[in-house]
Amino acid sequence: MGLLYLAALTIALTGMVVLDRRFGLFFWADARRAAVVLVAGIAFFLVWDLLGIGLGIFFRGETSFMTGLVIAPELPIEEVFFLALLCYLTMNAYAAAGRMLARMPADRRGAAS
Amino acid sequence: MTYWTLNAFFLVAVAGVAVLAIQRAWRLGARGTGARGTGSGGAGGGGAGGAVSGRIVSARTVAARTVAGPAVSWPAVGITAALLLVMTAVFDNIMIGVGLVGYDETLISGAFIGIAPLEDFAYTVAAVVLLPSLWALLPVSSGSASARTDSASASPPGGDA
Repeated sequence: MGLLYLAALTIALTGMVVLDRRFGLFFWADARRAAVVLVAGIAFFLVWDLLGIGLGIFFRGETSFMTGLVIAPELPIEEVFFLALLCYLTMNAYAAAGRMLARMPADRRGAAS
Repeated sequence: MTYWTLNAFFLVAVAGVAVLAIQRAWRLGARGTGARGTGSGGAGGGGAGGAVSGRIVSARTVAARTVAGPAVSWPAVGITAALLLVMTAVFDNIMIGVGLVGYDETLISGAFIGIAPLEDFAYTVAAVVLLPSLWALLPVSSGSASARTDSASASPPGGDA
């Protein structure tokens, strides 16, 4: 039971990797740039989390869904996976949206001619 | 310090990175409005290349664009934000509902989407602005798919997928 949240996050992250690979969205568009963006994003949000925890704004819930492993007081290991998912999903969606938008004028041109 | 005050610092930092990305796009695109549609990678070729072949395209602009990433596509950021905010509303409610996280009620504003504090959505807003801005600011790796097709996520490409 303690692995449930971590497992859910891992499955979702796997989905992000599959989509990235299939459509060449993020790491498969530019692996080096993607690595920098992902690591910087996770680090940025971890600092945000740590300050929020330090200020007593939010804290780890008492639940049986998490492993109980923490990387800092009140900061569960699951949060790193959650932030990775947030960042990966954002960049996959951004690349997909950009491609969709880029295709629209081309379609219109095709229809017009 | 309240949750909103904390968020303000981080959102200002995000805005700063976004401004850098916008400034850079202006600098690179200032005299390149005619060249904007070429996909700027040089690999675009095809009909789009023909459209500007007679023009004087600043070599400096082309060179700069091959090292710098494409500009941020703000319409794409908008679509991403809409999707991510809806997903945040759904999943944050689930995460709080099952007790993954708790809040000090005296430090949050009391504005909620369901049972999710409105403040939590600042993470989503930050992600959809900060990450595409960073992506655009970083130099494109030579040999990457981005370097070949360029701007999958930015300037309207000139035709070929």
